[in-house]
Amino acid sequence: MKENIEQRVVGLFILMLAILGYVAWSSIHNIKESIRSNDWVNHTHAVIIHAGEILSYLHGGDAALRTFLITGDERDKQGYRVEYNTMVEQWTEAERLTGRNEEEKALHQRFLDLSLLISNRIDVARSMVQAREQGGLEAVRQQFNTHPDVESINKIERAVRNIDKSENQLLRERDEQQHLQAQATKATVYTGLGVNCVLVLLVVWLMRDDLAARRKAAVALAEANEQLEAKVQERTAELVKTNQSLKQENLERRWSYQALDHQLRYNQLIINSIEEMVIVISRALNISRVNPAVVQTTHWEPQELISQSIERVLQFPPDPAGGASQNPLTAAMRDGRQIQDRPANLLERSGRIIPIRYTLIPLHDQDKIVGGVVTVRLQAGVQQPRQT
Amino acid sequence: MPTKKHILSIDDEADIRELLQEVLTIKGYRVSTAAEPEQAKKIIKDDLPQLIIMDFQIEEGDGFVLMEDIKRLAPGVPVLLLTGAVFDRGTVRETIEKKVSSYLDKTASLSTIVAEIQRLLGDAPSSPEHS
Repeated sequence: MKENIEQRVVGLFILMLAILGYVAWSSIHNIKESIRSNDWVNHTHAVIIHAGEILSYLHGGDAALRTFLITGDERDKQGYRVEYNTMVEQWTEAERLTGRNEEEKALHQRFLDLSLLISNRIDVARSMVQAREQGGLEAVRQQFNTHPDVESINKIERAVRNIDKSENQLLRERDEQQHLQAQATKATVYTGLGVNCVLVLLVVWLMRDDLAARRKAAVALAEANEQLEAKVQERTAELVKTNQSLKQENLERRWSYQALDHQLRYNQLIINSIEEMVIVISRALNISRVNPAVVQTTHWEPQELISQSIERVLQFPPDPAGGASQNPLTAAMRDGRQIQDRPANLLERSGRIIPIRYTLIPLHDQDKIVGGVVTVRLQAGVQQPRQT
Repeated sequence: MPTKKHILSIDDEADIRELLQEVLTIKGYRVSTAAEPEQAKKIIKDDLPQLIIMDFQIEEGDGFVLMEDIKRLAPGVPVLLLTGAVFDRGTVRETIEKKVSSYLDKTASLSTIVAEIQRLLGDAPSSPEHS
């Protein structure tokens, strides 16, 4: 979008420059044409003036000639010569002016044709002057009668008037052409300026449009940034919250571990400090744990007792009813029943038998019997064996 | 900036003391710790805490005796008994709770312990998980 606008603006500026260039070129061209036309007008005026002067000096010379022919005065003869010479000079100048370019070839030809008429007239004048000097008035009269030569002056007049007429016609045409050129120049300049004004307005409109689009884009970008920032903050807050939660969970776990560890050690301490022997058994009457009192009394090492049957350390008396000898703990564990303070024998590692009294408390966990605790104490009067 | 409330934690277990100190520091409290009675009494004299957390089991001393000393040295300061020595609830109500402001088993969750501390100090819970 941005590049498109820039391209359009650059394109419009190039177009404006091209139009300005064309206007400038057209104006210069028209000015040159005007100058050329002015030169032509001046030139044509000069030709017309020279043509007019030819007639003027022709008439002047003719008048002086007639006066000389009547008076025979040398001054009049001189006057006619001056006038005719000047006429010839005017013709020469006009012929020179028209002989310089191709456009005036026809006009130049007319002047050449005129030169014949002028030459004829000069010859006639000379013959009359000669007749006056040699034969007097009578000879001049005879000359007039034989060669009146009225036509040559009329021909010259007509030829000059034709030249004058055609030159005036050219003048009008050139005036009209000059006027049209001036109008065209004016129209070109005004049109160029008008188009450039329109293009400038278009460029301004495009730039305003572009600026508005840029402002809109900037606002949209700012809004997007705000939204992004808000999302980042939201996400950061979530992460902080999650981190806090994880820290809290970690602390809870550590606390739980420490508390349970402490509790376990404390309970262990209590059990280990009991003077009575404590034997923890499974449902199948296998030993799972003993306290230090058992080790001190029987000299069995814990690893020699753990997972062994309780009968390794306890011997139960035969059934008084004379039935088969059966471990009384089996039935009690099956029924979940306690046995309180019953006699039995403790087997030392050395094989010595010590009479004891024992108690069984089945361990209930959610209505299930998961094991039992047998506490053993020496019968009254029995000595605690010495520690080895 | 408000002054942080001062809590004294008395326990023979270094791990318990450190963990409790870490948690309560995060919660914005200033925590002192002591492992034995003389150290605890010195802290109470030098920088009276707003709350005392103690265990019965302490090094080189007796928790019950120390409890009496605290009542004498810092009357009116709430005492939270936090112990692993399991007592029957009824027994606690009849005996120990009369001597202390509150009693919690060490197996209670940390959030429960913090909430109880905040309650004793009259502070609102600082985060939902402790409410």
